[in-house]
Amino acid sequence: MIRVQNLCKTVTSGAQELAILRGINLEIKAGESAAIIGVSGAGKSTLLGLLAGLDNATSGDIYLHGQNISLMTEDQRAALRAQHVGFVFQSFQLLPGLTALENVMLPLELSGHASPETAARVFLEKVDLADRGHHYPRQLSGGEQQRVALARAFAVEPDILFADEPTGNLDEQTGQRIIELLFALNSETRTTLVLVTHEMALAQRCGRQFVMHDGVLTEAVSNAESADTGMKQSSPAQSGELPCA
Amino acid sequence: MRLMMLALRNIRRAWRGGELGLLAFSLTLAVSIVTGIAGFSERLSRGMEQQSHHFLAADRVLKTARTVPDSWLLEAQQRGLKTATVASFRSMIYAGEQMQLASIRAVSDGYPLIGQLGVSDAAFGDAQLVEHGPSAGELWLDSRLLALLDLTTGGEAGVGEADFTVSRALISEPDRGNMNEMLAPRAMINLADLAATKVVQPGSLVRYRYLFAGSEAQLADYENWLTPLLEAGQRWEDVRDGQPAMATTLKRAEGYLLLAASLGVALAGAAIALAARRYGQRNSDNVAVMKTLGARRRQILHHYLAQLALLCAAAIVLGGLLGHGLQWALFASLQGLIDIDIPPPVWRPLLVGAITALLCTAVFALPPVWRLSKVAPLRVLRRDTEDSSEGMVASALIGVTGIGGLMWWYSGNIQLSAALLVASIALGLLATVLVLWLVSQARRLSAGRSRGALRLALAAIYRRRFANAFQVASFALALMTLTSLGLLRANLLVDWQMQLTEGAPNHFLINIQPTEIAPLEGFFQEHGLSNAGLYPMVRGRLTHIDQRAIKDIADIDAERGNVNREINLSWAAELPSDNRIEAGTWWTASDLVATERVPVSVEADLAKQLQLSLGSELSFNIGGQSLVAVVSSIRSLDWSSMRPNFYFIFPPDSLRDYAGSYITSFYLPAAEKPLLTDLLRAFPTMTLIEIDALIAQMNTVVGQVSAAIGLVLALVVVCALLVSVANVQASLDSRLQENAILRALGASRQLIANGLLLEFAAVGFLAGLLAALGSNIALYGVQRWVLDMAPVWHGSVFMVVPVLGAMTMAITGWLYCRVVISTPPLQVLARQ
Repeated sequence: MIRVQNLCKTVTSGAQELAILRGINLEIKAGESAAIIGVSGAGKSTLLGLLAGLDNATSGDIYLHGQNISLMTEDQRAALRAQHVGFVFQSFQLLPGLTALENVMLPLELSGHASPETAARVFLEKVDLADRGHHYPRQLSGGEQQRVALARAFAVEPDILFADEPTGNLDEQTGQRIIELLFALNSETRTTLVLVTHEMALAQRCGRQFVMHDGVLTEAVSNAESADTGMKQSSPAQSGELPCA
Repeated sequence: MRLMMLALRNIRRAWRGGELGLLAFSLTLAVSIVTGIAGFSERLSRGMEQQSHHFLAADRVLKTARTVPDSWLLEAQQRGLKTATVASFRSMIYAGEQMQLASIRAVSDGYPLIGQLGVSDAAFGDAQLVEHGPSAGELWLDSRLLALLDLTTGGEAGVGEADFTVSRALISEPDRGNMNEMLAPRAMINLADLAATKVVQPGSLVRYRYLFAGSEAQLADYENWLTPLLEAGQRWEDVRDGQPAMATTLKRAEGYLLLAASLGVALAGAAIALAARRYGQRNSDNVAVMKTLGARRRQILHHYLAQLALLCAAAIVLGGLLGHGLQWALFASLQGLIDIDIPPPVWRPLLVGAITALLCTAVFALPPVWRLSKVAPLRVLRRDTEDSSEGMVASALIGVTGIGGLMWWYSGNIQLSAALLVASIALGLLATVLVLWLVSQARRLSAGRSRGALRLALAAIYRRRFANAFQVASFALALMTLTSLGLLRANLLVDWQMQLTEGAPNHFLINIQPTEIAPLEGFFQEHGLSNAGLYPMVRGRLTHIDQRAIKDIADIDAERGNVNREINLSWAAELPSDNRIEAGTWWTASDLVATERVPVSVEADLAKQLQLSLGSELSFNIGGQSLVAVVSSIRSLDWSSMRPNFYFIFPPDSLRDYAGSYITSFYLPAAEKPLLTDLLRAFPTMTLIEIDALIAQMNTVVGQVSAAIGLVLALVVVCALLVSVANVQASLDSRLQENAILRALGASRQLIANGLLLEFAAVGFLAGLLAALGSNIALYGVQRWVLDMAPVWHGSVFMVVPVLGAMTMAITGWLYCRVVISTPPLQVLARQ
């Protein structure tokens, strides 16, 4: 479903070149759930942005749903997202001018869904907000806003769902409810899930965990698979060679 | 259809989002102001133009000393023009034992083609308006003639060999403005009776005025046909040729309205640009989210273009309606001040409004939307991905070009538009440099020293120094506009008032015999009237210049040069007080003894038309005798001073051999009009000319123009405030954020409020200073090149405008930034 080869991202700041991602290799199969963990500034969000085709990599290839998005134009990537990708953000990112219902309808309209309103209502029902459809984001609490965002993400029945710190702006209890909902919807729709977080507990809920550190991604091997090593680097940088240089 | 529905739904949603509101408001206001001003000024100037046609009693007049072929009039009628004929001549009118010289007009049935005649059943009575002149057999006499001839209406009087019934007192004629025809009291008969009077014989002095009325196209068409047929001495006139004072007033009024409207458009454009920029900024996040959710660039463009298109359409309709309302309100407020029929509304201003809306949308709103479609989706994860300065130069260029183009199209005057545009850009650059310099100085000087509100204000100004420079520049431009227009208005009024001073002579008295001078002065003294002095007057005709006959000098337009008729010649020892020598010298007693040749002083405009210079030899025919004189000086004078003025002045005694009379002018208040009857009875041979009617006409026009100017000024104020508001709103988001943080850190509301007030006041003060400077410079140019007036420097604006600017800006800023202080910090911080 997602395949990444030698992915590098370098930004120039003044005269300095800063390598944010140093040769990432990654493969996530359909229906899997993967967590990317790491400290702030480790490059987690940059990787997520690249995986979703929101930005261009400096080098390397990303295959999404079998297609190399590194070779696509921005519009082609947008079309791919409209068909196959859902998104949940830390800051919810609901459009303030649209009601909850309209926010959920938006991606459905963009992907040319036949009856966006009906589908949107179904998903608002699933997140227990059927009666708040006509409310604007500012009239909803943070938890409610994130539930609307979940409904919006799942409404297009995406093959892949990207979630960027989905509980980052919520208190623990609300965050917990959101997580439950996220995983419930995920198992119901059998969506491939890629989740960025700095919370270990949340990461543990995913089938696979990757640790991002200083631009290098390493998979934490689950106990069942490799109790002895515990860690397995996914990057060729393990040999000391820097693929982005 | 589906796209339309989606666009409608989108616009409804965007409207609720709030960003579209500001843009819609600016756009609608721009359209309504443009439609309002365009419609108002167009209808007003058409109204004034139509009114001024009343002064001709027609749209065009053909003046000639001989009758023209009937085929000329037939041709005009075939082209759809209305025609009428007026023959003017002087003749005696007899009533019993009395007789009196009168200026008689024989008018055809169609006269007047435009305007109405005022008549009354009794002398000096209240005028009733009638559409046409006397019927055959009727004679209308003006009030003075009735008094002089001891007649009442219904009496009998004779002109030449024909007898008439005196049916009406003639109170007013639309085309009475012509001084030359006012030298004797007026009588009017029907043209059909002219032949029967037998006063018009070969060689007798009759002047014909052929009147034409119709559409401009028909008139232009006919003029093209007629012009090649015109002979020397035949002259085709429109109102501007016939009434120079009126023409100047109208031209100034037009220039003024045009100027005001152009600047109004420029200001509205700036407001739209600001609103659109904010609209773009506030939608960037939305676009990033939409793109993340899979929207393609084309879809984003469609989405926003549909919004803009609907917005534009709504602004055209709503703004057009409001503009019409504005026109209506403007004319309603002028009621009582304007004495003209306002023509019905026309479509052109609506078209102007619509095109303005389209242009403004394309030029100001499209670039931010275009940039919007290029927002990177990554913005949902990282806010710092946008380079907000990208494309700013290009859109600034597009904006400036757009504003310039609008002004040009709107005023039809590329010079004026270019001058205004260049001045605005110069002002903008000056403002930027000044603000940046002042801010850096203030920061340097205040480092570590200033406290509290002042430090906040300085920090805020520094942080937004580029935005502030723009704010100063645009507010300065608005203030400059207001100041210039305000000063210009005062200027124009002062200028006009000088022409029409209260107490200026309003009556002329001519044909005063030398023996009557003493009794007349006694009469004036007895009734407490002051006069402008008695001037001798001899009627004569200029025949030769440098021994060449006038009629043989091909390049002199004899008619325009006022020489193809008898002219009033005068003599004087001293230069009349309001005349000025332009060339040569005024004579002294010793000059006159020394020279054998008679010197003559010539009025400057006539000298130019006749191509006279010092030393030119002029021959005059005075009552059949010849007089040769040499130009010794050239004088300029003010024809509108309402004092006796002369083209040619000779030294005393040089006209002694020719029979002459005296002329004077005096002021008589309207309430003392009945005194005129006493005057005429005491001095029956003198001729009285009432100038006050002419002054009243001029006053009406001045009143209209100054009232219109006041209203247009008020509209420009609205535009200027709009720019300020858009400016303040543009900074609202960042202010909310900053002040929420400040308050969270413990700053009091008072401190933040004082900081805000100081910041806005400083911006307003700076803008005021620049505006004072700019308006003086602009005014110089406008007065000198556009309005044809002598430039005046205004120092007082440097005191007033900066203070006014500071106050206005502080109040506007306060009104729109209250929300910054009243919004709880948590609410702001939670939104982030």
